[in-house]
Amino acid sequence: MNSTWFVYLGFSVVLLFVGIYCLLTMRNLIKLFIGIEIISKAVSLALLTSGFVRNNILLAQSLVITFIVVEVSLVATALAIIINIYRHTKSLDIRKLTKLKG
Amino acid sequence: MTLQILLLTGLILFSILAILSRNLLRSAISLAVASLLLGIIFFRMNAPYAGVFEISVVAGLITVLFILTIALTKGESDVRESNLVRIVFPLFFVVFIIIDVLVMKSLVQKIPALPGSADQGTFGDVLWKQRTFDLIGQLAIILAGVFSVLALFRKRDKDE
Repeated sequence: MNSTWFVYLGFSVVLLFVGIYCLLTMRNLIKLFIGIEIISKAVSLALLTSGFVRNNILLAQSLVITFIVVEVSLVATALAIIINIYRHTKSLDIRKLTKLKG
Repeated sequence: MTLQILLLTGLILFSILAILSRNLLRSAISLAVASLLLGIIFFRMNAPYAGVFEISVVAGLITVLFILTIALTKGESDVRESNLVRIVFPLFFVVFIIIDVLVMKSLVQKIPALPGSADQGTFGDVLWKQRTFDLIGQLAIILAGVFSVLALFRKRDKDE
């Protein structure tokens, strides 16, 4: 049990690292959101793996489906906010969002 | 297990391609391929419903939303990323994998296994009977998403 869990969790932690690296270094708003998507993939992989090794795959599946619904809602809202920011500043650069001028 | 490891490696490679590619459209498509691979991994872990959701919703719908956003924000939106990010990434990646391999095994062994019983019944039983409140939460979140998108794209009144 532990070796399978170790392999899958190891891979999902690497995915988490890729996502966090993207969040820390990129400047494009859409790229940042792609980073968040990668982190959410890591989370769903970890959730399903835990169910798989504990013989609770049905419960893990229902949790993953709930997570995917939350993810879709988050994506729709965040992309709408990104489009509004683009209309406001004419750019997707996060460095232009540092000025709070109202 | 070998095929699973190959699929997981492909998932990580496409994710890296998604963050390091200069073209946003290429990034979105790499993300879709990564979701597709994750869906296949779910299928092979005996989780067909999660796999179907992952492929149809995440690889399909979310990619369409991303491409729509990229098309709507085209123009002078070419943000210059610093080149250092691409150069330093392999170094950080290798260091992280070494730390991961060294630390994870002992960490995983330290996590206590909680008592629990194996699943009983079908997937429908678990989803509709055990996790009923999750469904209510899902409905609430979908409604919240719909209303927030409506509020964000609302036309301004004339006096504003």
